[in-house]
Parts: sequence; structure tokens; C-alpha cells
Amino acid sequence: MSLTQLRPSPQHAAPPPKPNRAKLWLYRFDTKATPYIFIAPFFIIFTIFGLFPIIFNAIVSLRTWRLDDPDKDGWAGFDNFSKLLSDSDFWNALYNTIGIFILSTVPQLLLALILANLLNRKLSGQTFWRIGILLPYLTPVVASTLVFAVFFARDSGMANWFLSLVGYGQEQPLDWRADKWSSWIAIATMVNWKWIGYNALLYLSAMQAIPKDVYEAAAVDGAGPWRQLWRITVPMIQPVVVFTVILSTIGGLQLFNEPMMFDENPQSASGGSAHQFQTIAVMIYKVGWKDLNLGYAAAISWALFLLILIVAAINATLTKRIGGDR
Amino acid sequence: MTTFVNRAPQDTRGSWKTYLGLVLILLFSAFPVYWMLVIATSTDAAVTQIPPSVIPGGELMNNLREVFTMNEVYFTASLINSFIVSSVITASTLFFCSLAGFAFAKLRFPARNALMFVVILTLTVPNQLGVVALYILMGKLGWNGTLLAVIAPGLVSAFGVFYMRQFIAHAVPDELVESARIDGAMTMRVYWSIVLPAIRPALAVLGLLTFVMAWNDFQWPLITLNGTEFPTSMVALSDLASGNYVIYRRVLAGAFVATVPLIVLLLVGGRQIVRGIMEGAVKS
Amino acid sequence: MKHLGKSGLAAAAAAALLLSGCSGQSLEGNNDKAAEGAVTLKIAFWGDMGLDKLKTQYEAAHPNVKIVLNSGEYNAQHEDLQKKLVAGSGAPDISAIDEGFIVQFRSQADKFVNFMDKGGADYEAKYLPWKWKQSLSSDGKQIGLGTDVGGLAMCYRSDLFQKAGLPTDREAVSKLWTNWDDFINVGKQYTAKTGKKFIDSGTNMFNPVLSQQAVGFYDESEKLQMEGGPKVAFDVSMKAVDAGISANLASFQPNWDQGFKKDQFAVLACPAWMLGHIQDTAPEQKGKWDIAAIPGGGGNWGGSWWTIPSQGKNVDAAADFVKWLVAPEQQIEVFKTVGNLPSQPALYKDAAVLDYKKEFMSNAPTGQIFAATAEQLKPQYLGKKNGPTRVAVENVITQVQQGKLKSANAWAEAVKQAEKASTS
Repeated sequence: MSLTQLRPSPQHAAPPPKPNRAKLWLYRFDTKATPYIFIAPFFIIFTIFGLFPIIFNAIVSLRTWRLDDPDKDGWAGFDNFSKLLSDSDFWNALYNTIGIFILSTVPQLLLALILANLLNRKLSGQTFWRIGILLPYLTPVVASTLVFAVFFARDSGMANWFLSLVGYGQEQPLDWRADKWSSWIAIATMVNWKWIGYNALLYLSAMQAIPKDVYEAAAVDGAGPWRQLWRITVPMIQPVVVFTVILSTIGGLQLFNEPMMFDENPQSASGGSAHQFQTIAVMIYKVGWKDLNLGYAAAISWALFLLILIVAAINATLTKRIGGDR
Repeated sequence: MTTFVNRAPQDTRGSWKTYLGLVLILLFSAFPVYWMLVIATSTDAAVTQIPPSVIPGGELMNNLREVFTMNEVYFTASLINSFIVSSVITASTLFFCSLAGFAFAKLRFPARNALMFVVILTLTVPNQLGVVALYILMGKLGWNGTLLAVIAPGLVSAFGVFYMRQFIAHAVPDELVESARIDGAMTMRVYWSIVLPAIRPALAVLGLLTFVMAWNDFQWPLITLNGTEFPTSMVALSDLASGNYVIYRRVLAGAFVATVPLIVLLLVGGRQIVRGIMEGAVKS
Repeated sequence: MKHLGKSGLAAAAAAALLLSGCSGQSLEGNNDKAAEGAVTLKIAFWGDMGLDKLKTQYEAAHPNVKIVLNSGEYNAQHEDLQKKLVAGSGAPDISAIDEGFIVQFRSQADKFVNFMDKGGADYEAKYLPWKWKQSLSSDGKQIGLGTDVGGLAMCYRSDLFQKAGLPTDREAVSKLWTNWDDFINVGKQYTAKTGKKFIDSGTNMFNPVLSQQAVGFYDESEKLQMEGGPKVAFDVSMKAVDAGISANLASFQPNWDQGFKKDQFAVLACPAWMLGHIQDTAPEQKGKWDIAAIPGGGGNWGGSWWTIPSQGKNVDAAADFVKWLVAPEQQIEVFKTVGNLPSQPALYKDAAVLDYKKEFMSNAPTGQIFAATAEQLKPQYLGKKNGPTRVAVENVITQVQQGKLKSANAWAEAVKQAEKASTS
């Protein structure tokens, strides 16, 4: 077991033992094949359960594929896609997805930056703070969303109680699920809550990699701590900022758990009475596993993929440009 | 002013404002989890009380008993299932990803860089793209509604391979591998006796992160396991929250139980998780 | 590449090993093979169908049978059954199907055990004729045996009525409202007097009123008929919402359950099966509820069948259990525990039903009340897409209650959403 056993002992190393044919073959097999054997499990499993579904998904989206009526089967051409373009539910879901995405990503990353800046000091209890802010990241979204559902309840919810303290909604308490703006805020709050700490740690680690002399040089300008953050720190950690923007784009546009569980009936996947907070991912679930129309659900998945590509590209360019200007 | 800032922020002592900010954020982070506990320990009346009660009550055992004895929700079984799923996925991810990471970091073979590039590409593929087809595939395999359907896609992860490759490249000296090879050790033996012991910290980090992700996964388990008597705890929770007798104190007692294992992980492995996230950032 | 093939094989073997290592019972599911000849029957339903005690009883009498109960959300359970029928596996051994979905499933009768092959013909005479026909396919296959019917009544809180100065006696309350307009007026009085809402939600007006109409969402040619019955029911529910007597709580959801406990409404349209729900949700309100006649008279809302998907491995054992479940003793037991009214008219004459007084409901003679409504019923045809259509229209009512939609514009939206659901 120990490493010393494996170190070449002098006696052994000097006279190579007679190469026995089987051993030689084994040795060659080992050098040539073993690397592939080592990486094979990843590629095989990934191909079957990751790559194949994506390719197959394209085929499904071009077919009529229903779970309630398997006889309606066959090629549908681009029917599912043309249905998509004229489906007001899809455009509504797209709008919701982007709206919630903006409401959750911008505050999330800004607050994470500020939090990281707070953590980037000489602190007592450094580890404690870092672990503490990770609590939301570990908490299951399903569980936390249920808490938020109670928090945002119309009657006797805590959010409405706070509002009533400042004199709002005493006559007619706010029904958070009823409107786009309020349901989006509620859901964005949950997303922000979950990811601020995580992103702060990403930023913190990048901040600590900034060479100290960069700050010392800038001190001549007399930059205050706040300007220091925006003028020096943020531009220096720009790659990580781009990374988090892309990460939260991929995650945010696929938002499923929060809007699903926030629904008054978490199994309905309707995203509110008029789909006011139904995201594309929730719509895929609704169409695929409640309307039982897998072909159409596959087509929506492609639309989602396209959306992610476009938004990620825009975000990456924007973030780079903003960073570059400074 | 100038005297104040000519130090790098990490050399500046936190002021009382810093601590105030941190305390506020910490309260914000911890409050929902704390309130989960409050409702889980309360009576119905306490849940809807105005102003809300913020002190835990004494009904936890009673609420838990209700959750665990609802024999239509399979809550006990769901916790066991979640442990099975998360453990198998974690063990398998650690093993296969460290194997592949070792190969990519230390072994020479044709097409190595091209294949590594493929791994990095797959990092960014949104997993939702394939759920419809994955469901059909699992149907053909006859796995829908079984834990296999949840475990199989999680057995490996591109992130795991990537993370392991980065770590092994730094943590295992080339000479150590070389000398073992000269001594006639097979590659597998090198992996087992040299690489594995050297990457224990990375295994701990990846293991914790994988376990958390597997435990919290919801969408795919919901699609394939909903309506069966083998839910994971997240699916059981959604069932508990949408059956016909939805009572918040009961739902949140269930939510709390499903969260406790992760709180324990955070207490035990918090340091590793923090390190894992921070290292992941630097290297990507 | 040859090596890759070999290594692929090795990895597949490793993966298989790993999988089989953990593919014990908990993974593969289905059958508990511990005891020779042991049979596990999985039963899927929603809400509380009064099976807890019967399960224990049946298991005690049949040591080789293990019964697993699976209660889920109402719509989800039906969707799930549909998925699994098509998949050809994974369906429960026995599945409850509600009236609202029965047409959809009876048109796939080949996926169910035909009770005609299991001695079901003997049962025809026992059932209400319309109940028997509802689960009969066009080619004469019987896919299920009926459990209950949802004859309608109106449950009310006698304690809250008293506080509002309204009569509390069953007869007197029934006389308050012969039609729905009267009912809404009583609601206005109640709300004016107490400042509290009268009904739980507009959807719980819509459903009972719709069930009293001759034609529901669909006619027998499966054509969506919004201008008939649905329009009448929708108008009544809009009127109630506009009158400000609705607490606007989404039924069967947590806030609705809280509404019970916080006295947020004083009446609830109740099919027999609702009694079980009230009693499970607010056990502390025992003796505070009572039952009066429903405005407009008659109507059926809900009621289910036990069906056996033919893909099951133990269809015979399942059929035995279902037959046992629908036998008079068990039907009476269910009636007593949760309130579900049997669909076999002979039982309405049975002293156990006829003389039964529900303690929870202020000793109301629930047997008499519901049996009387059940026998007069003229059932409605419920189309294949009845389930989703109902959900879509209920959502529009909710939008009005949330103030998102003016009640004047709501009907057009309801028609639009219903049409969409009918073609989803």
C-alpha cells in the first residue's frame, strides 16, 4: 500500500528480469489500452444518457409522439415548431423566463460581489462566515420554496404582514401569485437567496488571487474602498464574472423548481392561474407529462436551448465590454 | 483616506460595518431554514398567527409522526431512496471521474487533448435539452419508475472529470508516476496506490458537492418517479405538498427532515465544500 | 479502436455490476418475493377513499396478499395512469378512475381487465344503471366496478350561521335557497352581517352547477359545447364572485385547508366524498357542520371506479380484491368512515346506510340525504378531454378572483382556454 514499496529498489532496477512474453504483452497492453479503459466509463455513460437523448430529442421533435394516444404516430415535419411559433403560451413562458431571469440574475451577482468584498478582509471567524453563507446553496430548493410559499401566502403570510406594518394591503392583502410582477419578485427572491453565497465564494476566490501590489499602486490615486471595488477589483476578476454570468444564464433560463413548487398546486405545472409565472422548463413538463405530448415538448426543449445559446452569447459579450471599458 | 487604502483589501481589517453587513446577510441566509423549523414544530394555529411566531413550538414529534405515518407518501422509503441514489451516484462519480481525470492528467495516448476538449464542451450542455428523449429511452429500458432511471444518468459528470484532471495534474508529481512505472507497476496499481491517496482532499470535495446535487435533484426524478412508491425525498416532498390534505406544518416538517442531512454535511464538511467551490472558480 | 471496443465492454461490465449491486428490491420495485406465492397489490387513488382499515382487514384475511396504497394529486394520478398504460408497464395493479376521466379511459378498454371476463355480468343488476354504463366501452367491455357516486348537497357551518342570525336547522336552511340566486342572496346577507366571506371559491360553485346541467362541456359526439351548461354554471360563479361572497381560495390547496380552520367560509358544496375531506382537514370542527339541500336540486359531482390495468402481473388477485371492496359490507364501511356514497341502490335501503347518522356532521342522516339525491340523478356525458377542460375553466375563474380579469370579459377567455384544452 505504501508509496515506498513502489519506489524502484536499486537491486531491482539495475538488472531487468528476463522479459517474459506474457508480461511484455501485458505491459504493452497496459500502456496502450489502459488510458482508454480509464476514460471509457465516462464516455460510454455520457454517450448513452447525455449525448444520445439530445440527438434523439431532435428526432422526437419532428414526430407526433403522444403518451395518451400512441396510434397517432409518425413524422410531423416541422408541425411542432410551427405550433410553437403560434402558441401564445410559449411566448408567455419565454417572457416569464426572461423576466424572472433578469430579476434574479442582476441582484444576485451584484449582491454576491458586495458580499465577496465584505469577506475579502481580515476577519475573525473567516471560515464561519464562508460556511454560513453557503447554507442556502445546500438547502434543497424544493424544501426552501415550500417555506417561501408560506412566506408569500396571501392570508397571514409573513411578507404581507411586513407590508401591513408599512400600511400596505390592509384592506386587500397582496396575492403574490396573482400577477406577473409580484410572482416574479417572489420567485426571483428565492433564486437570489439560493445563489448569492455561492457566487460570492467564486468572486472571493478570484479576488484573493489579485496581486497586492495592484492595490498599492492604485493607492496613489486615493481610491476609496468603494471605488477600489469597482475600479480595481471588479475589472481584475472579470473572467470569473463572465463565468458566473454564463453559469447563471444556463441555470436561470432553465428555472424549474421554484416556479413549479411555488404554484398553489405544485403538481399542476401551470405557473399560476394565467401562467403568469410559468417558465419554459415548467411548460416543457406540462406539455410533456401532463398534456402527454412529447413531440411538442421536445420542440420546446430546442427552443430553450437556442434561447440559452443566444442569451449566453449576448451576456458574455456585454460583460466583457463593460469590464473592458474600465 | 490614502493611508487607509494603500493596503490590499484582504490585508484590511474588517470594520464594524463589514461585520454588520455579514451578520445581515447571514440572517437572510439562515432565516428560511430557521423558519422551516419553526413551522415544523408548530400547531396549525401558530402557522397562521399574526404577527408570525418566530419561536419554535413543541409539536415537532407530533408533526413528524404524521409525516412518517402517511402511508401514501412513502416518506421513510423516500429518505432511504435518496440515500441510495446519492451514495451510488457519489461513489460512482468519484471512481470513474478520478480514473478519467488521472488518464487525462498523467497518461499519454492519442487523441487525448481532443477528448478532453469534448469533456469541456459537455460541461456547458443544458441537461434539460434531453429530458424528453431520456424519458423515452428509460421507457425502452424499462427503467422508468425505478431508481435506476435516476441513478444511471448521474453516474459520471463532466465537471467531475474536469475537476479531477486539474487536481491530479498539480497534486501528483510526474516523477512519482514515472518511477512506479519503471518499477513495473501496472497503471491500475499506480492509480490505486499513488493517485488515490494523493487526491483524498479533492475526492472529499467532489464527493460532497456530488452528494448535495444528487440529493437536491428534482426535475428528472419527478418526471420518472412521480406516482410510484419509490420516490426520492424531493419527489415525496412535492407529493406531500400537493396531495389532498396539505397542511403546512406537516409539509414543512417533511421539508425539514429532508434538509437535515445536508445541514449535517455542511457542519461536517463545510470547509471542504467552501474550498471546492473556491478552487473550482480559480481553475475554470 | 479495437482496444476501445474492449475497454467499452469492460466499462459496461463494470457499470452493470455496479447497477446490479444496488438493484435490489427497492430499485426494481414490484414484487416482494420473500414468501412463496406472495402477491403485492399496488392501489393508486387520490384523497382518502377509506382504505386504511380495509387494507389491514384484507391482509389479515389473506396472508399472502400485501396491499400498497398510493394516494396522489387528483389530476396527476390520472395523467400518470395514462402514461403508464401507453408505456405498457409501471401502472398500479388497481387504479381508481374518477367520473371526470372515465370516458378517456373506457375508450382504451383493451388496456384494462374486462370485468365481464371476471364474472362481472352478475354485477350489472347491482349498480345504478347509469353508473354501470359510464365505465362500459362501446364494444361492451366493463373496465371497472363502481365505488361511489357524488350526489350533491350543501354543507354549512351551523355555528357560523347562528352567529350571522341565519337559521341553523337543516330543513330551514334548505328552504333558504331553492335556486342559486337565493343562495347568493343568503351569502350577501351573511357577508354583510359578519364581514366574512360565505363560500370558499367560485370554482366550487361552478362545478356543482355544471353537474346539474343536462349537457356538460362535451356532448356525446365529443364536441365542446361551451354555450350550454358551462355558460350557465360560469355565470352563476361569476355572480357569486362579483357579489363579494367568495373567499377566493383555490380548492384542495393549503390555503383552502387553512381557510377551513380559520372559518374563512361558511358553506361548501358537498358531494358525499367531500365529507371525508372536511373531517380529515378540520377534525376539531366536529359537530359544527351540517348538511342541507343543494340549490337547484340534484346533480352529481365525481364518483369513481376501481379498474385493473391489464399489464399487471396479478390481475386475478386484483380482481378478487376489487370484488371484495365493492361488496356491501366494505362499501358500508367506507361510507361510514369517509362518507363516500355507494353506487349500488340496494344499499340505499340497507338499514346501515338509511339509519346512519354522521356524528361529525351534527348527526345528519347522510345516508338518507345522499341516497335520495343519487336515485334521481340524470347523469351527464363527460368527454375524453373533460379533465383538462375543467382545469382550464377553473383557472379562468381563479383569474377573476385574483382581480386579473373582469368578470364581463371572463367568459370569452374561458371559451378560449377550454378550446385550447380540448385540443391540447
